[in-house]
Amino acid sequence: MSARRWTVTLLAALVALLTVAPLLWMLSVSFMAPGEAAQFPPPLLPADPSLDNYRTLFGSFGIGRFLANSILVSTLATILALLFTIPAGYAFAKLRFTGRDATFRLLVAALVVPGQIGMLPLFLELKAMGLVNSYAGALVPWLAGIFGIFLVRQYCLSIPDEMLEAARIDGASEGHILRRIVLPILTPIIVTLALFVFLGSWNDFMWPLIILADQQLYTLPVALAAMSREHVQDNELMMAGAVVTTLPVLILFLALQRFYLSGLLTGSVKG
Amino acid sequence: MAGLSIENARKSFGETQVLRGVSIEVADGEFAVIVGPSGCGKSTLLRAVAGLEELSEGRIVIGGRDVTDLPPSQRGIAMVFQSYALYPHLTVRENMAFGLKIAKATKAEVDAAVNRAAAILNIEPLLDRKPAALSGGQRQRVAIGRAIVRQPQIFLFDEPLSNLDADLRVRMRYEFAKLHRQLGTTTLYVTHDQVEAMTLADRIIVLRDGIIEQVGSPRDLYERPANIFVAQFLGTPRMNILNAVVADGDQARLDDGRSLALPALAAPIAPGTAVSVGIRPEDVRIGAAPGALPFTIGFVERLGGLATVHLQAAKDSEPIACQLRDDGSLREGETVAALLPPDRLHLFDADGGALRREVRE
Repeated sequence: MSARRWTVTLLAALVALLTVAPLLWMLSVSFMAPGEAAQFPPPLLPADPSLDNYRTLFGSFGIGRFLANSILVSTLATILALLFTIPAGYAFAKLRFTGRDATFRLLVAALVVPGQIGMLPLFLELKAMGLVNSYAGALVPWLAGIFGIFLVRQYCLSIPDEMLEAARIDGASEGHILRRIVLPILTPIIVTLALFVFLGSWNDFMWPLIILADQQLYTLPVALAAMSREHVQDNELMMAGAVVTTLPVLILFLALQRFYLSGLLTGSVKG
Repeated sequence: MAGLSIENARKSFGETQVLRGVSIEVADGEFAVIVGPSGCGKSTLLRAVAGLEELSEGRIVIGGRDVTDLPPSQRGIAMVFQSYALYPHLTVRENMAFGLKIAKATKAEVDAAVNRAAAILNIEPLLDRKPAALSGGQRQRVAIGRAIVRQPQIFLFDEPLSNLDADLRVRMRYEFAKLHRQLGTTTLYVTHDQVEAMTLADRIIVLRDGIIEQVGSPRDLYERPANIFVAQFLGTPRMNILNAVVADGDQARLDDGRSLALPALAAPIAPGTAVSVGIRPEDVRIGAAPGALPFTIGFVERLGGLATVHLQAAKDSEPIACQLRDDGSLREGETVAALLPPDRLHLFDADGGALRREVRE
C-alpha cells in the first residue's frame, strides 16, 4: 500500500516538474546575457544574472504601456462579463418568462460553434459600427460569454425557490434579491468565473490582433508577437517579455486558487 | 389581525386544473388547516394566498381588503416554508430582521421586534449563529421567528413539520398550538398529515383534486364525515368500509352473506340498494354480545399499549381492523365474536356520499 503511494507521489512530482520546468527556464533565461541561451548544451542558470533584458523591455521597447493596456482590457472584460452573465444566468435559472428554455437551449447549442468562425462576421459588424481599432471592439466578445451564463445558471439551480420566495414576501425587489441573497451565495462561482474571463482575455491573442490596428493599443500578447518578429534572435529578451506576460496572471491565479477550486467543486457536486 | 376569505379560487397549469373553485372563510384569530393527499392543490392554494402564485380566477380578501392583485409583501401575510428557506449567509438575527430592514424600519424598531420574537421562541442564544450551525428544530423556530417579526395579519404555514423527525414533530406541534394561543393570529396551515390537522385545527378543510370535500371542526369531520374519502382520510388506522345491500327493516346483507343491524336513518333506503358501511377500528367491540358475528383473527399488530387486530370473516375476505387495549390474550388464528354497534356505523351511498343518520337528541 505504502509502496503504491510512493509511486503515485513520485509520478505526480515528475509530472509537476515537467510542467513547471519550461516556466522556470523561461525565468532563468530572462536573466541571461544576449546569446547565452543559444549555446550548446544550453545552460540551466545564467552565468552572470542581470536585469538588462527587463531594462530594455521597459525602456526602449516600452512594455509598460502594453502591460497597462492588458490590465485595462482584462479588468474591463471581467467587470462587463460579470455584469451581464450573472443576471442572465440567474434569470435563466430562476425567473419565469416566455421562451426561457428555448432561448437557453439555443445558447447552449451555440457553444459547439468554434469562436474563430464568428470572428470575421463580428469584425465586419463592428466595422460598420465604427468600433474597429478601439477597446470597445476588443471587449465585445467578452460581454456575455455563453459558458459563463451556463455556469451561473447551473449554480443558481441549486438555490431553493422557497428562499427567493421568502425574500419576495419580505418585500425585497428582484434587484434586491439578486444583490443581497443570490450574489453572496454565488461568491465561489463568481470568483471562478472572474478568473476564467480575466485569464481568457489576458491570454487572448487572435481577437486583439484582428481588431486593434494602432500599436499604441496593443495588449501584451499582441505586442510580444510583434516584438518577436523584430527580435527573432533575442531569446533572452523574448523570455523576459514572456515573464512579464505570465507573471501577473500566475500570481492572481495562485492568490485566488482557494476560491477557484471550491467554486469548481461546489458547482460539480451541487450542479 | 384579520379574517381571510378565498372566493371561488381556480388555477390551471396548462391543461391541468389544480384548483377547481375553492371558497374558504377563515374567521379572525382562527387556526384553519388545509389537509389532503399530495397533489390535491393545497400548497398551490396557500401560495395563491401568499401571492406567490397567480390565480386563474377568483378573489382573495384579507381583513376586508381585496389583495388578489397585490404583491406578496403588501398582503399582510408571513409564510413559513417546508424547507425553512433561511438565508444561509446571514445570521439568525439578520434573517429575522431582513424584511424590516427592507421596509426601512429604524434600528431600534428592528431590534425590539427581533428580540421580542426571539424571546417568544426561546432562540435568544442563537441570534448570532448562521443557519448552517443550527439543528432542524432550531431552524424551524428561526423561520417562525422571521414570520412573527413581520407582525402579519395572517400566518401561512406550508407543511412546516414534515422535515422534522417524529419526536420533534410532536413537540413542535404543541408549540404551534401554544404560539397560536399566545399571539391569536389568524393562521392557515397546510399539511398532508391528518394527525397535525386533527390536533392543531379549529377548523379543518379537506381538499381533494382541487375541490373541497368537507369543512368543519376536527370532531365534526371525525364523527360525521361527508363522504368515504374524508372518513378514511382522518383517523389511523383508517375506517373500515364494508360493501352491503340493504335488506328489509334495519338489516343489511354483507358481501359474505351475513346480516348486520343498521342504524336508523333520516331518510329510509329502499331494500336492494347497495351501500357502503363504515366503522372506525376503535368502535369494533370484541366479545360475546347480542348481534355479534364470529371472526377469525388474521393478524395482530401490537403497539405496546394498544393493538390493532385484523378480523376476517372468511379466509380470503377483506380484514376488518379493530383497535383495542392490548392485554396479550388475543392470538392469531383464534375465533372471536365481534360486534359492529349500529350506533357507531357510518353509511354511504353508491357514490360515497354519507347517508345521514336519524337525529336523536
